[in-house]
Amino acid sequence: MSHLHAVLLGVPWTLAVMLAALAIGAVLAVPLAAARRSRVAPLRWAARLAIDVLRGIPPIVWLFIIFFGLGDKVLRLGPFQAAVLGLGLISAGYLAEIYRGGLTAVHKGQWEAASALGMGRADAMTRVIGPQAFRVALPGATTYAIGLLKDSSVVSTIGVTDIMARASQDARSTSSGLTPFLLAALVYIVLSGPLAWLSRTMDAKLRARVAR
Amino acid sequence: MTLTTGTSVVSLRGIRKEFGDHVAVRDVSLEVPAGEVVAIIGPSGSGKSTLLRCINLLERPEAGRIEVLGQAVEPQGGVSAAELAKLRRGVGMVFQSFNLFPHLTVLRNISLPQERVLGRSRKEADARSLQLLERVGLADKGASYPSRCSGGQQQRVAIARALALDPQVMLFDEPTSALDPELGLEVLAVMRELAADGMTMVVVTHEIQFAADVADRVVVMADGAIIEQGPPSVVLTAPTVERTKKFLRAVMDR
Repeated sequence: MSHLHAVLLGVPWTLAVMLAALAIGAVLAVPLAAARRSRVAPLRWAARLAIDVLRGIPPIVWLFIIFFGLGDKVLRLGPFQAAVLGLGLISAGYLAEIYRGGLTAVHKGQWEAASALGMGRADAMTRVIGPQAFRVALPGATTYAIGLLKDSSVVSTIGVTDIMARASQDARSTSSGLTPFLLAALVYIVLSGPLAWLSRTMDAKLRARVAR
Repeated sequence: MTLTTGTSVVSLRGIRKEFGDHVAVRDVSLEVPAGEVVAIIGPSGSGKSTLLRCINLLERPEAGRIEVLGQAVEPQGGVSAAELAKLRRGVGMVFQSFNLFPHLTVLRNISLPQERVLGRSRKEADARSLQLLERVGLADKGASYPSRCSGGQQQRVAIARALALDPQVMLFDEPTSALDPELGLEVLAVMRELAADGMTMVVVTHEIQFAADVADRVVVMADGAIIEQGPPSVVLTAPTVERTKKFLRAVMDR
């Protein structure tokens, strides 16, 4: 029981890192996805480069660069801040591509109908294209969120006391490896359950509306 | 330099539209006076849909001048968002693939553009939408999603959606081509009524019978150009151009 208690202490930090990173990513992904679809070619290239860099570097390397590298001199960040910044930026890269996929999936005729009706680009985007793209992007985005929940365990390497860090501490202090890590595994599964459920329910609900 | 007669709702001058190396429309001019129903017919790839889409600038022509309801634009010189909005304000369009918004109910499909474009309140917009749904025979469909409607019903909703913005001219881009013949008939019936009410209409169509019955003028296009035009009684029964004869034979033989 004390093993479980030790592991559970990490839950708030795991959730905080994941949710904050997801929020940052979800917001930053909007301009990134927009730039990726821009009519201005250099803007497209820049966005593509940024996305490739964000996604191409392993999270642990990102976190070390931000926390040990930049954190040392340039930008003083605590472990939590560095973790959120790093995972937030990476999330922006992934979510931008997920958004883009959603936007691309909306039929060109929808844009044409909206513009023929005289709706401006902003109106067309927020009222017509966006909601349909959201529906397409949702499963990908929740899959990413579940992945992020698990992969956030990497933040234990820079000293955030998340589930993984707590399990490691517990394993070291009690000299019992298996139990704390199995408990950590269980807690991750339990946490991702509601996300998966939410994703399926929302998807089914939205699908019921538009499906033939 | 104004070339319009003053009564034209749509006036196209020297419209040229290219897609890469392919010239889709070559230097076409067309005047559509108020109240006229023009049917544009011709083989696939003749540029008729492209020409229609140039009227409300869904396609930007490489050359030419477009005047709609007295507002002229020369797209090759660039068109501002305000000019575009003004030009489209008076022009309704109906697409081959309906293009209803699938995430909105039938009623919201018709009301949303009124609210966003004309600034009508939701109440005003819904009242107008219901009135138009009644007119196209779908008064009971307001709460349905488009996916629950047949193709013919969807196209009638699309017509109602366009009409809700009080257009002065309606463009139809092969409105029945995606429909079973029977469902096409219910759409054509709505279009006939619209024509009878005096709406100015430009209709790209393969429905020769509709063109014969409803159009005031038939325009035949081939290879991006207008090759023949005139009253349906002349063009459809006694065409003078060989290419028209060949096209009509092919249509009749189906």
